[in-house]
Formats: sequence, C-alpha cells, structure tokens
Amino acid sequence: MNLEAAYEEIARCNRCGFCQAACPVFRATASEAGVARGRIALLRALIEGRIAWDAGLEGPLFDCLLCGACTAACFPAVPTAELLVRARSAYLARVGRKAAHRLLFDRLLPDPRRLRRAARAAAIGKRSGLSRLAAALGLLRAFGRDLGRAEEILPAFPRRAFREELAAGAYDGAGNRGTAAYFVGCGVDLLHPAVGRASLALLRERRRRVLVLDNNCCGLPAWSAGDLGAARRLAAANLALLNDPAVEAVVTDCSSCASFLRSYPRLFPPPDPRHGEARRLAAKTFDLAPWLHAEGAPSAGGLRGRRITFHDPCHAARGLGVRREPREILGRIPGAEFVELPEADACCGGAGSYALSHYDLAMRVLERKTENLERTGADLLVTTCPACMIQLAHGVRRAGLAVEVRHLAQVLRPTPPRQGF
Amino acid sequence: MRQPERPLPRPLLRELRRIVGEAFVTESAASSELYAYDGSLARGAPGAVVFPADARQTAAVVRAAARAGVPFVPRGFGTNLSGGTVLPQGGLVVCLARLNRILALSIPNRSAVVQPGVTNLELQQALAPLGFFYAPDPASQKVATLGGNVGENSGGPRCVKYGVTVHHVLGLEIVTAEGELRRLGGEAPDPPGPDLRGLLIGSEGALAVVTEITVRILPRPEAVRTWLAVYDSVEAAAQTVAEIIAAGILPAALEMMDTPVMRAVEESRPCGFPPDAAAVLLIEVEGLAAGLDRQAGRIREICRRHGVREIREASGEEERARLWEGRRGAFGAVARLAPNYLVNDCTVPRTRLPEALRRVEAIARAHGILCGNVFHAGDGNLHPLLLFDSRRPDEVERVHRAGEEILTACVELGGTISGEHGIGLEKRQAMRLVFTEEELSLQRDLKRAFDPQGRLNPGKLFPPPTEAPGPKRAADALCPAEEDLARRVRQAFAAGERLRIRGSGSLDAAPSGGRDDRPAVSTASLTAIVEFDPENQFFTAGAGLSLARAQEALAARNQWLPLRPPPLPGRRTLGGIVATAAAGPERSAYGSPRELLLGVGFVDGRGRRLRAGGRVVKNVAGYDVTRLLVGSAGRLALLTRLTFRTATRPERCTAIAIDGDLAALARLAGRLLASPLEAVIAAAAPGPGGSFRLWLGFEGFAETVARQIEEAARKARAEALAEVGISDYGLLDGPFPRLYEEIAKRPGLLRIGVPPEQAARAARHIASRFPEAPLWVDFAAGRVMAGMDGLDPDLWAELRRAVSACGGHLTLEKAPASDFSPGGGCFPRAARDPLDLRLRAAFDPRGVFAGADPPETGDDP
Repeated sequence: MNLEAAYEEIARCNRCGFCQAACPVFRATASEAGVARGRIALLRALIEGRIAWDAGLEGPLFDCLLCGACTAACFPAVPTAELLVRARSAYLARVGRKAAHRLLFDRLLPDPRRLRRAARAAAIGKRSGLSRLAAALGLLRAFGRDLGRAEEILPAFPRRAFREELAAGAYDGAGNRGTAAYFVGCGVDLLHPAVGRASLALLRERRRRVLVLDNNCCGLPAWSAGDLGAARRLAAANLALLNDPAVEAVVTDCSSCASFLRSYPRLFPPPDPRHGEARRLAAKTFDLAPWLHAEGAPSAGGLRGRRITFHDPCHAARGLGVRREPREILGRIPGAEFVELPEADACCGGAGSYALSHYDLAMRVLERKTENLERTGADLLVTTCPACMIQLAHGVRRAGLAVEVRHLAQVLRPTPPRQGF
Repeated sequence: MRQPERPLPRPLLRELRRIVGEAFVTESAASSELYAYDGSLARGAPGAVVFPADARQTAAVVRAAARAGVPFVPRGFGTNLSGGTVLPQGGLVVCLARLNRILALSIPNRSAVVQPGVTNLELQQALAPLGFFYAPDPASQKVATLGGNVGENSGGPRCVKYGVTVHHVLGLEIVTAEGELRRLGGEAPDPPGPDLRGLLIGSEGALAVVTEITVRILPRPEAVRTWLAVYDSVEAAAQTVAEIIAAGILPAALEMMDTPVMRAVEESRPCGFPPDAAAVLLIEVEGLAAGLDRQAGRIREICRRHGVREIREASGEEERARLWEGRRGAFGAVARLAPNYLVNDCTVPRTRLPEALRRVEAIARAHGILCGNVFHAGDGNLHPLLLFDSRRPDEVERVHRAGEEILTACVELGGTISGEHGIGLEKRQAMRLVFTEEELSLQRDLKRAFDPQGRLNPGKLFPPPTEAPGPKRAADALCPAEEDLARRVRQAFAAGERLRIRGSGSLDAAPSGGRDDRPAVSTASLTAIVEFDPENQFFTAGAGLSLARAQEALAARNQWLPLRPPPLPGRRTLGGIVATAAAGPERSAYGSPRELLLGVGFVDGRGRRLRAGGRVVKNVAGYDVTRLLVGSAGRLALLTRLTFRTATRPERCTAIAIDGDLAALARLAGRLLASPLEAVIAAAAPGPGGSFRLWLGFEGFAETVARQIEEAARKARAEALAEVGISDYGLLDGPFPRLYEEIAKRPGLLRIGVPPEQAARAARHIASRFPEAPLWVDFAAGRVMAGMDGLDPDLWAELRRAVSACGGHLTLEKAPASDFSPGGGCFPRAARDPLDLRLRAAFDPRGVFAGADPPETGDDP
C-alpha cells in the first residue's frame, strides 16, 4: 500500500473545496493545511516531486481527525482518511517513527496485561500528581507534546480495569438462543468498566451464552497513526481468536472497534490467506446499538423527565452507517424526550487519542460540539464510543454544562452489579 | 524545513508576525504549495501566507506589504474558478478566513453586516430563523465566502430573479492599497457621487481589500414550487428556457444539466436526476402562493410545447433539497468523469442559448474533448465543463484552445466572456474579445488610481497592452451624434476648456444658467433607440432620450423601465437619470438605475468613445465601469448610450392609503416590508393637521395585487390605523403624481438617504423645519425627497448634522445654479481626497468635466 499507487485517487480531487464546509479542523483553523483539499494537494506534490518528505509535513499529515466528514461531503468521494493513513505510513518510514510510537504499538497494545500495567502506572501518576512517572512509563508520552495539558481530559482512571473485575471466558445468559462474543475495546476496559458491565448485562439478557473475549486492541490506533505493520499484527491476533464458528455474533460497545473489525478484509487483501477469515469476521461483527435494535429494543427505566440527545461517533455514522438505531432506541424510553443534536455527526475532536496529542486543536473542535449541545437543552448526552465519551465529558466540564455523558449501554442498564456473574 | 521558491524579505515576515502573531504567518515550502492553487487550473508560488484576525490587522498587514514593496492578494477559502487568488510571480497571500463573524442582522433595516470570511451558506443559515434570506446563492455557497462573492460579483441559481451580488451590497469597508481603512456606502441608500462600491464589487481583489460587507436581506417568499423537466434533446430544453424568458415569466431559478453531468452526480449520490435523459431543467418559482399557480401553468404549457418527456414536481422540502444538492455538487462530481475541468462561464442573451449550446458541442467534438453542461440557463450563463486530465499536456493544450473558441462564439452571439467566475488569470486574453484597447487602457488607469504601485493582485484581469485596436463595433443610428459630441470634447481637451453637460434641463432651476458660464454640450441629439429586444428584455437608447419616449417604445411590447424618478419622471432623460442615480419610491422593489443598467457608452475627458458592460445581467468582464458611472453626475464622462434591463408591465397597480401618526405608519410599513408581501411602494407624505398618509402600492398579477391589498388592510386594522381609500394608479406616474408636481414646482430638490429605520425620524425633521415643503418618505429604501424653496447655509449645516446623526447623507439634486456655482460660496466644498482625484484623472486628465460638480453633499468629512 504505497502512496504512489493511490495517485489516481489523489488526482480525483478537483479542488472544489466542499470539504472545507465539512471539516471540523478547517472550521477551527481556516487553514488550507488543515483540510482534505490541502492535504491531498500535498500528497500530489509529494508524488510529483515538488516538495520533499520532511518534518514540515507532520502537521498536515497528522492533525487530521480521520473523521471522514470530507469524504461524505465529496461528490467524487476521495477517501482522504485512507490516503492520509498511507501517507502517515510513508512518513514514518521516511522521516522516522518516534520511540513512543514503537512502545505503544509494538509492546503495549498487543498485550492487554502490559497495557493495563502501564495504564495503572499512569493512573497512579495522575492521582499522586506524579505525571512525570506516568510519562516515564511511556503510555501517555506516546501522545506527544500536548500531553501536559491533555492530562486534564481524563478526570480519573478507574482503580480497576473491566477485565480485572471479570475474567475472560464463557458466561451464562438468560436468553434462549446461541452464543455471542463480547469484544472488549481498550477504552471500555481501561477507562469505562461500568460501560462494560452494562453491555455484558444487555448481552446476557439476550443470549444463552456470552463469551467475554480475551481480545487485544482492534488495531485502529496503530492504523490511524500510520503504523500499518502494527495494525496488521494486532488484527491477525484477533482474527485467530474470533474465528470460532460457535460464535454467531461478535458484539462490541465501541463503535470504533466495530467499524475497524469490519474493515479487516482491507488489511488482508487477497491473495492473503487471511482475507476469507477477515470477511467472515466482518460479516458477524456488530456495533451494540444496531445489534440491540435488531434484537428488539430493551426497555429502560428511571429516565422520566430527562431530555436526551445523541452524538454520532464518526465510526458509527460514517464507518458503519449507523444513525437511525440508537435514536430509535432512545426515542422509545418512557417519559424521556429525545432531541436531535445539531451537527450530531460532526466529530467531537476526541478521535481516539487525538485530543491527547493535539490538545488545542481538539478543544477548538470540541467547542462547536458543546455549543450545539447547549442549544439542545438536553441533560443527558448519549453516544457509543468510549473516546467520544471522554472528550464530550471534558467539553461539558469546560463549558460548565449540567449534562451527563453516558454510553447507550449505561443508559439502558444504569447500575449492573460489579460481581455476581 | 524547505523554503518556498520565492521567499519574502525577512524584515517583512518579522513585521507580519508582530502584527498577527507567530502562529498566523506561514512560509514553508508546504504552505507555499497549499496556497499555490484555487478552484481553477492556474498555479502560483506565494512566498508566505498571513492570517489577520480583523480589519485593523488587515490594514496593518497591507501597510507592511506596501512598505516592503511586496505584491499581495486577498483570499477567502480559495474556490475561485479563474485563477484570481493565486500569485504566479510570488508575493504574500492575505487570507481573510479568520474574519468570519456575522456582526449584525437588522430586520428594521433589512440588512446584515458580515466579515468577508463568512460563507454565503453561513449567512443564509443565520437568516433562516428570522424568515429572511440573502439573494445571491452561488452553487458553491457552502464554501464560497462573502468576501469572495464581492470580489467576483457572484451570481447563483436564484439570480435570474433577484440579480447578482452588486444588486444586494449596500456598503463595504475596505483597506486601500496603501493600507487605509475606509467605508463606501452603508445602510443608507444611494450615497451621492460615483458608485465606488459598484466598481469594487467584481474587481477581483485588484483594487482594494474588503474587510466588512453590508448586504440587503429579503423576507423569505411565502411559497416555493420546484419542478424537474426531463428532455430527450438538449435543444428542446434550451428552447424551453428561451421561451419561458420571452414570455415574461420570472422563475426564481431555471437551471439546466445534461447527461454527462447528471451521470456524475447520480454516481456520487442519488439525487433524483434521470441519467438516461439528454437534459433536465430544474425550474423553481417562488413568491405569493396566489400567483404561483398561474406561473406554474404557463411554464408547464411551454415545457409541453417543446416535447418535454416528463415534468415532475418536487413533493416536499426533502426532494427539493436533494435536487439542489445534486445541482450544487455538480462541479465536484464531474471528477468522476475526469480529474480536471476547465469551465468557461460565458453568458449569451437567453434566446441564443440553443445556438450557443450547439456551438459548444461542435467545438468540444472538434477537439475530441468530453464536455458536460450544468448552468444557469435562465440567465443565459453557460458553464460548459471541458473534461480532461492535467497530467496529459496535449489534453491541456486542446482544452484551452476549445475554451477560447467557446468564448469567441458566445461573444459573437451577443454575449460576454464571464458571467460570474471572473477574468483572473485564465481569461485575460479573452478581454480583447469584448473591449477595445482604449477601453482596456481606461480600466488599467482605474487600477492605477486605486493601486498606483500595482501591488494588489498584480497581473490579473488584463492582457498586456498592444497596438491592435480590438473589436470593431457595428455602426448604428446613434454613432454619428456620439461622434459629434466626442469631437467637441476632443476640442475642449486640446484647448484646456471646461464643458457643462446638459440633458433635458429638468433639474435646472429657474432662472437657469446662473453664473455657470461654461459652454454646454447637450445630449439632445442622442435620442435614437438602437436596440429593443423584448424577448431578452433589454433596451439600448441614446442618453438624450426622455423616459416618456422610452416608455412609449417599450409599451408596444408590454414592457417598461421600472423607474419613476422625481421630480418629473417622463421629462427626464435616460442620461440624467443615470448620472444622478434617480429613482422614486419603487426603488427597493425594482431597483435604481444602478440595478437596471446593463451597459453604457460614454465619451471620456480625452474625447474617446468607449463602452462598458453589455446586454446581459450577468457580466463580470473587467471592472464595473457601468456601475461606477451611475451617480457620477457628469464629473467623469459624458454618457451617450445606455442599455437597460426591461421588465414586463404589471397587469395592475393598486395602492391602499392609510392616515395616521408618522411613527405608527412607519411601524406598519416596517411590518409589511418584513413579511412575504411584495409591496412595491411603502411611502408616506404629510397630510392635514400634522398627520401623515401612507401609500402601500402593489403591482403585478391582478389576483396577487388584490390579495395583498386585503392583507395590507387587515394589517392596518390590526394596528388601529384608518384606511382612507384603495385606488388603482398609473404605471408610469405612480400613486402620488400630484405630490410629484408640487415638488417639481419648487426650485430646490433635496434627497436624503438614511438607514430605513431612521426614515421616519428624518422625515419628521424636514417636515418640522420646512412645514410648507412637499415631501415623501420611502420606508423601504430609507429616503426622503423634498421640494425646497430656499435653503440658507445655516439650515444646510444643521440638516447635515441631523442627517449624519441618523447615519445618512443628503444631496441637493436641484437648486438655483447661483447657489452652487464655483465660488458661489454658499456651501463648503468636499475635501479632495487623493483617490477621488486619481479616479477623475483616469477618466478626465485635463478636467474637461471637472467643473460640473454636483451640489454639495453630506458625505464629506
């Protein structure tokens, strides 16, 4: 997948500029360096030899959210996010890969236990004010220069990760049909164990058996950073794990993971022998919201008088085409009112770890989101991506709004017990 | 990090960083690459990009660039389609994208004040909740900034009904090439003097940098209906367009798309276009619901007559939005057919569309180029998209040749080389198709008047000078008289003599002549009607023709010039009307000469016979000298011929008269003007006992007029105001001819322009100071016209103070010449500003017309 092979796709940008209206970064910066048209122009200039690969490209190549809004607004549908990932990959190869990237993608993400240890160290660092220790341990340092300010995005690490509460393996459910596997994303595992508990409860209500997977990272962070080798290694490990024919459905409460699992076939294009496997996995992978919707929406109580709105994670709306289902589920909650969030599918600026590495820009993107949120008058903001949750909660705190930020699963199953599975 | 090819001087970059901050100056090779292009095929090589935060910083940036002698270009989002925002010779890009705030929205003034980096769509979205809209709507409105709209005089689908940007801009704040901030116009209508705003609009960033824009906003129409008419032949679709226009129907949009474009759009996203058809028309009518059925019926009938395959009405807002989304995305979508396109946005008189499309097709075929069409058919504004791949040099060459041939063909058909995309770099040579070398030389002089050092967006708009005279114009009935006058001016030029231009003399006060002893040149010989094209709705005649005679000629084809300029509409000459920018209270609905004038012929101070503009509404070839001459009062040139847009005569004109207190009437008028009712006149005059009488005039289809009169009466009753009568009035005289006569009898005619919400206050002031003066106040435009017996210097000074306090200006249109002769000393003279002097010198280097100052105005410092 080298950049030159994408020349045709790059040449298809005829500079109409419609991406400018869609791009959250351009809306914040008004700079051609921060929008698809400009980034594509640089890729073309690189291929045509007008500019050189150097550190000056880091900004234009890496400050894209990869939210895909440009492609959705683009009539010829130039796949900017994918082109940029290729370009990032080339950048890493030609200009250099930071030590922190290597640590994160080669050593931490492929090993959930090691990742949790690093997160724990970071958490201790944060709670004890020893952020230097956390940085020394490497996890957060991976995110670059904005880290100092970015730390405030994470209010507190949970003391225990989800999978420290609960061993991987098979759990009995109350449903009368087959087996579903629960894919535990890093965000839920490390930062939102309560979401994991809620999702698992929902799954167990609907299946005879639920398999909590001992999966590792889906690979999306590595792919986004342009580290395609690392992404493929992570994906290959997951493929081996998920290729159990007894598992009818792989469900995850992280829309980003769901979207990336669905895209595994692209990581292993034919004639790679894993292509078929990847396709089978893609076919049985579901985001929690549409899966629940198809199963018959669950009821929820305790939300009488609430005003609820929904933020579309980029990977749900544009990655999976999921828009209708979460709204319909929320719209049926008795006694609560659902209001549409203006520009609900515009990126919040969280974009995985983007907010940690590009704090200022992420905050400018976030401001528009919180302004729109304020306009709805909602007191409960729901979404389906752990990274969005962190970013949105940070936005709510910064803007001083009285809005709860919750995952859809938490809204439906607010306080499942910690133990007793 | 690598440097750009043409780096800028270090001291300038330091200065820029000091002005705007470190983060807002970029100068790497990458940023040079990022600002090397716009939406066109042209490429530049900027040395640096600066992002000022506001007008003050912009002015400081311009001053710094001027001191350093570095050329610069203002730029918004860089979607220009003619290469207007790139700098091939290097220089500084001044990106105004951070000036992105909407500063004010005013319903009482029906205006919006915006910074240039606000996109057209952002303004529309801010106006929608208020029930208003901004009429120009370029297809790229999502990403077209209003600064760019001003720079290019942008149009858009709705412009067939509402006109282009210049018709909707009230005022500008600009930074001159020297870095001075100044304001041109504003919410008060028709500032006295030549229309500098009009000149700047469409000047492609080559005369000044615009930092703030005041625009007119309109209430959203009551109803909209949209149809897709599907054709099996392009020819039939084009003929339908020509016939709709010729029938005097004014759709809100009339767009055409052909097969290749529809295919590209539908492949991108299904918008509801039938890719198997040869062409479709997207037709929209809007206005009062009561009037739409009749228009709809006539349009359908015309479509059927031309063999339409299917007419589908959009069932609701969703379907309509989808059709428009496809139309607006068409330029981007053709990237599915080929990586690049060259678009020539030439304009032809609308009845020539079928032929123009035939010739475009033949030219594309001859060069072996795939061509798609998507364009503003109702304006005759073509957009043939010549599709190619810029990576293949032979294709580039063929495409450019085909493009030139298409422009030539359109000019041959009576059109022009650009309707809305501008000349920029790409059409400089084509300027010779429409302008003579002398005309180009005048335009180059105008550029020098604004930008003596040539630093602002250099190298754009004009080809290099040559010896060749340029296009030869056919002789017509007006030419001999024009030549006589030109000869007279040449004599005066040679002899250093000053001349006085005289039309019908309707503004001369008795006893005429006074102390102005300059010899007169009269336009009395310029009365020929050169061309009246009722189907395309334009009319060309000599400047000496009286409005009454013009109206007679137009009436024969059920058309008219929608102007009732005081004091005696019929007696005034076309030249005089244009020179004084005269209009009656119908001004807001129909426009003033500024809106209605399409082209002019004139004699400059050297005695050269020159032309500007043309015969089509959408025309952005070169600087808008046509607009500049409106209101120039004989100071710049002698107008000899004028081409106006004409209109279909309304079926019926009816006014409702309402008596009451001025404030209550103003309130009622304000409500009405913010509603979807289409009042042509909302003006009041003093009545008995300190009360006023308001006339609300409606003109158009009989049934819509009747409905609006009812509605207006209802609104008056709701305000507890007494309706005193409803009566029809004469089309040419307007609802209060007797008041006009009273005003005409007075030796003085005072014109006051104020923001509309101040109109009542200004009228009350005049009525209290001059209880005997006949006057009317126009709540729609914000204007008071009063007949005056006398005006001493103290009163004049007091009036000026009062009017300035309302944010307005005043002009004495007519006064005893003795009061205003040079040295008469009655009123102070305006301070001479260098820009004004240079502008005059461009037209009239020896001051042949210099003595013909208009009476003093309130806009001088």
